[in-house]
Amino acid sequence: MKNRNYNIKALLIAASMSVLMIILVFYGSRKLQNFDAALITYLFGTVFAFFGIVYRYSVWLQRPPTWIYFKRGVSYLFTGKVFSHFWFASKETIENIAFQKFIYPRGKYRWMAHFLIAIGCTSAFLITIPLTFGWIHFTMAPDSISVYEAHFFGFKVMEFKLGSIMAFLTFHALNWSSYLVIFGSLYYLRRRLTNPGLIATQTFEGDLLPLILLIAISATGLGLTYSYQFMKGFAFDFLAVLHAVTVIMFLIWIPFGKFFHIIQRPAQIGAHIYKKQGMKMGMAVCEHTGEEFATNLHIKDLKTVTKELGFNFDRPDGTSHLDLSPEGKRSRLAQAHLKARLEGGNLFG
Amino acid sequence: MAKLPVSEQNIITQFGPHKNYTPKDGYEGRDEPDELVKTHCCFCGMQCGIQLSVKDNKVVGFEPWMEFPFNEGRLCPKGVQRYLQNNHPDRLLSPIKRVEGQGFVPTTWDDAMGKTVSEIKRIQEKYGNDAFSVLSGVSLTNEKSYLMGKFARVALKTKNLDYNGRLCMVSAGAGNKKAFGLDRGSNNYSDLEYAEVIIVAGANVSETFPTLTHWIWKARDRGAKLIVIDPRMIPLARTADLHLDVRPGTDSALYGAMLKYLVDHDMLDHDFIDNHTSGFQETIDSVKDYTLEWAEEVTGIKKEKIQQAAELWGKAKTSFLLHARGIEHHSKGVDNVLGCINLVLATGRIGRPYCGYATITGQGNGQGGREHGHKCDQLPGNRDIENPEHRKYISEVWGINEKDMPGKGLSAYEIIEAIHRGEIKGLLSICFNPLVSLPNSNYVREALEKLEFYVCIDFFLNETARHADIVLAGSLQEEEEGTTTSAEGRVIRIRQAVTPPGDARTDTSIVLELAKRLGEEDKFTYDSSEAVFNELRVASKGGTADYYGITYQRIEDEMGVFWPCPEIGHPGTPRLWEDKKFRTADERAHFNPAPYKLPGEVPDADYPIILTTGRVVSQYLSGTQTRRIGKLVDQYPEPLLEIHPNLAYQYGIKQRELIKVTTRRGEGIFPANIVETIREDTVFIPYHWSGKKSANQLTPGTLDPISKIPEFKVCACHLEPLREIAPPSSESMAYASV
Amino acid sequence: MNYTNFNKNEEFFVDMQRCIGCKACEMACAECETNGQESLIHVNYVDRASTVQTTVQVCMHCDDPVCANVCPADAISKDEFGIVHTANTERCIGCSNCVMACPFGVPKKEESYDLMMKCTMCYDRTSVGKKPMCATVCPSGALFYGTREEIQEMRPNSSPVNTFLFGEEVVNTKVNIMMPKGSNQLIIY
Repeated sequence: MKNRNYNIKALLIAASMSVLMIILVFYGSRKLQNFDAALITYLFGTVFAFFGIVYRYSVWLQRPPTWIYFKRGVSYLFTGKVFSHFWFASKETIENIAFQKFIYPRGKYRWMAHFLIAIGCTSAFLITIPLTFGWIHFTMAPDSISVYEAHFFGFKVMEFKLGSIMAFLTFHALNWSSYLVIFGSLYYLRRRLTNPGLIATQTFEGDLLPLILLIAISATGLGLTYSYQFMKGFAFDFLAVLHAVTVIMFLIWIPFGKFFHIIQRPAQIGAHIYKKQGMKMGMAVCEHTGEEFATNLHIKDLKTVTKELGFNFDRPDGTSHLDLSPEGKRSRLAQAHLKARLEGGNLFG
Repeated sequence: MAKLPVSEQNIITQFGPHKNYTPKDGYEGRDEPDELVKTHCCFCGMQCGIQLSVKDNKVVGFEPWMEFPFNEGRLCPKGVQRYLQNNHPDRLLSPIKRVEGQGFVPTTWDDAMGKTVSEIKRIQEKYGNDAFSVLSGVSLTNEKSYLMGKFARVALKTKNLDYNGRLCMVSAGAGNKKAFGLDRGSNNYSDLEYAEVIIVAGANVSETFPTLTHWIWKARDRGAKLIVIDPRMIPLARTADLHLDVRPGTDSALYGAMLKYLVDHDMLDHDFIDNHTSGFQETIDSVKDYTLEWAEEVTGIKKEKIQQAAELWGKAKTSFLLHARGIEHHSKGVDNVLGCINLVLATGRIGRPYCGYATITGQGNGQGGREHGHKCDQLPGNRDIENPEHRKYISEVWGINEKDMPGKGLSAYEIIEAIHRGEIKGLLSICFNPLVSLPNSNYVREALEKLEFYVCIDFFLNETARHADIVLAGSLQEEEEGTTTSAEGRVIRIRQAVTPPGDARTDTSIVLELAKRLGEEDKFTYDSSEAVFNELRVASKGGTADYYGITYQRIEDEMGVFWPCPEIGHPGTPRLWEDKKFRTADERAHFNPAPYKLPGEVPDADYPIILTTGRVVSQYLSGTQTRRIGKLVDQYPEPLLEIHPNLAYQYGIKQRELIKVTTRRGEGIFPANIVETIREDTVFIPYHWSGKKSANQLTPGTLDPISKIPEFKVCACHLEPLREIAPPSSESMAYASV
Repeated sequence: MNYTNFNKNEEFFVDMQRCIGCKACEMACAECETNGQESLIHVNYVDRASTVQTTVQVCMHCDDPVCANVCPADAISKDEFGIVHTANTERCIGCSNCVMACPFGVPKKEESYDLMMKCTMCYDRTSVGKKPMCATVCPSGALFYGTREEIQEMRPNSSPVNTFLFGEEVVNTKVNIMMPKGSNQLIIY
């Protein structure tokens, strides 16, 4: 496939976005006042991951089929159609991004497991990334010894009493996330190890390693908690290093492996809006079956995109093979084959 | 008391048909089955080899059986989906009995058997032994077919036993017996391979025997010319060298004209005719006026095409003629078959490699099941129940007095007629769903409602069984050991893959228990299916269908053995008549005059259109099994009325418009499918559905005088467009129609 | 892929004129472990009003697959054996670009899953040296999977063709279509 070489444009975008990110870290931690030096390795990992993601995303967007979706998606969202699509986009975001509704029909348990991993990971990210960047920090309330205050970007956002339920939930938030991730990942690991279809097509680095990483991160993270709570810090340092290693591997892996889908998934909503908008603009009718099969917009864009990619399905009379529905294409092929067979004088032999 | 206990809809809710689908990731354990059981498909006479995957006593999937020589792994959609009949939610798990107002409720075996036997005794004491009848079927194994015959004659002592093969290939059987003295396809299908010309007459091979297509295509790869005779452009006909679109009911005119052409142009094998046949002269005398022009007028086939067909057939050095229900389901089904045989005999192309003739037997064990004595006129080994020697021999095998052996009884449709007349009061049925499969279903329903007692053995509650007093939960094909005989005459092994679920029992154990309770235990004690088979071997010894040399072990070692196989050391007979010694009295093959006669019903002013019926690839027979398998139902969800655009235009019919089709027997409403692939004067409806969606509401009970086969393939109808477009097929509930 | 025993000598040969429309392949396709009871092979009437001609279409596994090229999500990949795999479930965004762009009309959008699925030549079977389900059960030889020598022996008057002309575009595929002897391409108008 094309467009997979070294990409200067994407490098520049990624580099400048990463610099911007470092600046935000600097100011978000009040000039490193609130920055926790123990998390420095995580910071590097995160920034590197960020760089990688932006790079990969930029490369991805430059591919003709992606770019056309991106372009159309952005223009529909902002050219006077904000409201009509805003509600649709919001609904889709909740259904497909927050709840991953589309997985449910593929399998109830698959959805449940994925949902567990998704909320586990999302909540963990929401906690750890700002912590790493020094954007969140906790202090004792000035006139108390039992009230904690949480600060975001240096601004106080909430306070809670030590020993309260809120405190319990907050301080253990990462543990809750870990359990969710472990349960979900174990389900998938079991599925991947027993389903013959998956066994045949999966790869270790693409499919199994990500699950193992998720479980490793969660298990070592939980290990840290249990080490200082119940085992008087037994093997704490070792676990801390192990945890850091798995997390950083995970972060670096995001742009290049399975986890990129987290970043990519919103494109699904773009595709849906594209289809919805396309339907308003008229449907394409298959020249063979006489039935509507796709939006005119889609077929028109595909003709452009395929040409950009070096495929030309134009016929001599100016029409295109792409004017046929999938069923129409199959039928035309069969008719052409029948004609060739008849001209050859024999259908058999 | 054979009326429905509650509304039909209530019965359907509880007992189906419900559509069964495989779970998304397959059945549990499919990937690591305990066992792959090498057996055969339960549908159709091809009896394709298949391996069933079994886990924890459940059939969870299948794997192709590449080594079985007929199909080498190939299957049709029914075969692929056949495993879904196991694990089915509609499965009867215990005996059930009719309770007025409540429907069917589970009962104990003791209660069900006790009630059944006391009712049998009551009816037989009051009205005579023959007032209790048995309807059996040939999806049953050879062992069970044999047992049903013996059970009816020895335990029930009734003469009124017949089977659903009566709606299948009895015309072919009768024709073959007349011509050859033996009822079996003369060749196995590997003889198709180098046949120069193949005629397929009235056999929708591509839909009813898809796996046979391979052998026909194989011949065509070697240059064979294919002639298809069918009122419709069936898939096989699309690519055929000649498609003779015969007007339904006129087949014998076509064969007669072809025979005359062969005679006129001396394309005959005089040597064969003189030395090995009889009846030639009177037969050709009977067709002397059958000119091509006359035939064109009668059959509606262009005379050039008839001539071409006769030329091709006449000049070929090797050939194979196949036919099936299309020419057999007629009031002159036997004549049609004889017309075909005359063409084969005239050219002498039989009993040699790649020279073949065969009817394609339809049902799973249609071949074996019709040989071992559950036909009204027949005893095991294809013996004649009216022949004193045959009676004597079988009486000895069974250990009964010859005088106690009942005589010839009524055929299947005649049994229904006798029930309707009130002469037969009781019925035991197994493997037969007459309410869907017999013609004139309204009449059949009336008959069923007149029964005093009806007991049915089945694994699902089929449409007919809804009228039963007791239903005994029996077994599926894969739940019992046995043998069947494929359409080629190959005796093969059916394996028990699993045991019957719940409280259901094997069919054999049910029949043996009934016999015991009827006081005949000593004649019905077997320790295995193999023991039944061994008795069958002896019973068939010396008969035309001689199985004596076939054993379970041999079948397994040799992947099937072709009968006749009279001795243990005999290799079996894949190709008949190599010795030119026919099994007729004079050891010659017989020409038989088959003059053209009108069908039982011809179009007139009131009923101007010809109606013909047939099948679709995704359904099997009356659909008891296949209307319960989701994907098979979805493939062809409802019966459609096929109609030519010119005829549709005359009535102003639009695509999928609902059409009320009326005949002298009933009416039904079907969506129109306007296609150029059918004759202009004919409409077609497939028959697998029940109730108001049944084509057999319309078909006539006219029987062939010899074979007693009903005339499913031709009657006169009236069309009335209802000016309403049918909802999409995908929404149809025809599979569970009332 | 993880472990594989792909038989490189065996190829797929299609001849839609032999197809009888029975759909055994479609039923069998759902038994393929990679499909989860979905049928991904296509059998359809070419024009039912005038003929009973049916056609059967498996994925042709193009040398340069259009489907993979037009995928905005990089969800389709081709492996070392030339098998073009079905959409990667976590990447596919259900846009249908591949469905509309494939010149053979192969990819199928499963609307409820919002996912494209396509034939992988029964990768669960072929990767361990077995034949694809559809070609194993096909009763008419419209689908055949075996060696070139076998097909040559069976159909001496036909040639396997894997070059197709769709308008201006020349498409080369891994799967062959059987054509009259000596043919080297099929032109689709």
